[in-house]
Amino acid sequence: MESKLTRYEKIDFLGEGQFATVYKARDTVTDKIVAVKKIKIGSREEAQDGINRTALREIKLLHELQHENVIGLLDVFGHKSNVSLVFDFMDTDLEIIIKDPKIVLTPANIKAYMLMTLQGLEYLHLNWILHRDLKPNNLLVNFQGVLKIGDFGLAKFFGSPNRIYTHQVVTRWYRSPELLFGARQYGTGVDIWAVGCILAELLLRVAFLPGESDLDQLTKIFQALGTPTEETWPGLKSLPDYMQFKVFPGTPLQHIFTAAPDDLIQLAEKLLAIYPLNRCSCTEALNMPYFSNKPAPTVGSKLPMPTSLVQKVQEEKPSLKRKLLESMEGATLPKKLLF
Amino acid sequence: MAGNFWQSSHAQQWILDKQDLIRERQYDLQSLTEDEYQKVFIFFANVIQVLGEQLKLRQQVIATATVYFKRFYARNSLKTIDPLLLAPTCILLASKVEEFGVISNSRLISTCQTVIKNKFSYAYQQEFPYRTNHILECEFYLLENLDCCLIVYQPYRPLLQLIQDIGQEDQLLTLTWRIINDSLRTDVCLLYPPYQIAIGCLQIAAVILGKENSMKSWFAELNVDMDKVQEIARAIITLFELWKDWKEKDEIQSLLGKIPKPKPAPQR
Repeated sequence: MESKLTRYEKIDFLGEGQFATVYKARDTVTDKIVAVKKIKIGSREEAQDGINRTALREIKLLHELQHENVIGLLDVFGHKSNVSLVFDFMDTDLEIIIKDPKIVLTPANIKAYMLMTLQGLEYLHLNWILHRDLKPNNLLVNFQGVLKIGDFGLAKFFGSPNRIYTHQVVTRWYRSPELLFGARQYGTGVDIWAVGCILAELLLRVAFLPGESDLDQLTKIFQALGTPTEETWPGLKSLPDYMQFKVFPGTPLQHIFTAAPDDLIQLAEKLLAIYPLNRCSCTEALNMPYFSNKPAPTVGSKLPMPTSLVQKVQEEKPSLKRKLLESMEGATLPKKLLF
Repeated sequence: MAGNFWQSSHAQQWILDKQDLIRERQYDLQSLTEDEYQKVFIFFANVIQVLGEQLKLRQQVIATATVYFKRFYARNSLKTIDPLLLAPTCILLASKVEEFGVISNSRLISTCQTVIKNKFSYAYQQEFPYRTNHILECEFYLLENLDCCLIVYQPYRPLLQLIQDIGQEDQLLTLTWRIINDSLRTDVCLLYPPYQIAIGCLQIAAVILGKENSMKSWFAELNVDMDKVQEIARAIITLFELWKDWKEKDEIQSLLGKIPKPKPAPQR
C-alpha cells in the first residue's frame, strides 16, 4: 500500500466535485496516463465512519464490471480512510462536446454516442445495476472517441421488489417524472429517461428540459410531452408526491426536433415515454431501426474533439520549427565534439 | 453481478483451492492443530453473529462479514491482525457494502464492549481493547487484502429458488437456512460456489427431516456435480461432530492463548 502512494505521479489537476478531487497522473509502473480520484475526507463525523460510502459503492460495483463503454477501475490505494481510486484516463466528456460551439455534431456522430451509451447501459442493466445519475457530464469520452459511462457514486442494485429507494437521485434536468412525483420503487426507466434527455440535448445543443425547481421540471416535461392522466399512466395519482398539473397537450417530437429523421423520433418517443412502463429497455432501443438505418455511426477516431483539447495536444507536440531547431542543434552538437 | 455469478470476482478470484488453503495455513498450524484452528473460527463466527444480531443486522450482512473474515485469514496468519479487531471491522465493511443502514463507529465499539462483557466474558476477561482509530486502520487493510472484491454471493438466494422448485416446504426451508448459517463455520464458503453449498445443506436437512427417500428423484434430476455436494455435506457433518464434543466455555481461553500473536508495536 505504501508503495502505491508513490506509484502515481500527479501531472495536472482535473476537477473537483462534492465528494472528490480528480487528478491526471502517470502510472510509473505501466507508464500509462490515468485519472486519480481522491475521495475527500469530509466532516469529522463522517471520517469516523471509515471508508467513504460513495467510494465504496464505486469500488464494489466497478470491480465486478468489464465493458468497453463502462469506465474501468484500475486500482485502489490510500491510507486509513483516505481513499483514492485510479480510473482509465478520459480526455473529455459529452457536456464539453455539446457545449463547444466549434464542434458540429452530425447525425452519424450522435448515433455513435447514443450507441455507445446504450451499450454500456445495457450491460449495467443486465447486471442489475441502476446508474441513477446519467447526464452528459458523466459520459466520458477519450481521444480515441470511445465513450464510457462514469461516476458510479449513486449506482445501486435493483430488482428486489420490496426494497425502498430514495427518489432524490439524478440531476434534476435528467430526472424522470416518476422520480419527481416521489416514486420509491422504480427501475431501469429512470436511466432510460435520462438517455432520452441526453439524446435531445445532442440534437438541440442545449439542455432539453432545464427546470429551475422540481415543480418547474415537471411543468417543462408536461409542456413538451403532454400532461399524463390516470388513463395514460395507471397509478399516477397514488404516487407519494402527486399533484394536479395544468393540462398541456404536448408537442409532437418532430416539431421539437425538426431536422431529425423519423427513425430517430421513434427512438426518442420510446426513451421519453411519460408512463414508465411504456419506456423501452436498452436492448429494445438498440434493436430499433435507427441503429441499423443509414447513416452508420461515426467510428471513434473520426468523432470530434473539443477545440481546447486539440490545441493542448498540439502544444504538447513540439512545433515543426522547434523540431527543426532541435535537429539542427543535435546536428551541430556532435560536430562541436569532433573539434 | 447479481445477474451473473460466473463473471463475478467471487467466482473468478475467491473460489480457492483446498491445497492452497492448507499451504497458507502452515504457519498457524505450527501452534494449533487443525481441529483447534477450526474451533477458533467457530468462536469468531459466533462473535460476528452475536455482534450482528445485537446491531439488528440482516443475516445477509452477517454472512458477508463472516466471509470477509475467512477470506482475510485464508491469505494471512492469525498473527497479522487480532481476530477480535478484525471481526467488528468485517461487520462495518459488510454493512456498508450491503447498504443496510448506517452503523456509526461509536455504536459499533460500544456494542463490542457490551457483547464482550455480557456474552463472551468466558473468553475475554478484560474489556474490549480497541478504539475507532484501530478499526479505521484495519478497515483499509481488510479492503486491500480482499483485493477490493466486496460482493459476496451467499447460498440463501439459490436456496429460495430450489425450495420454490421443490414446492412449498417451510420446514425444509427453515432448517436448510440454519444449516447454511452453520456452514459459515467451515471452509465451504471459500471452496465452493454458493449454489452447491445450498444443495449440500438441503441434502443434510432432507436427511434430518426423513425426506431423503421422497426427494431422491428430485436430487437425481439436478444437473450438478454430486461429488462436490457430498464434500460440502461431509464438511458440515464433520463440523457438527466437532461442535458436539466441544466445551467452548471451558476451553476457549487456553485456545485463544495459543493463537500466534502480532509482535508488540515498538515503543515510541
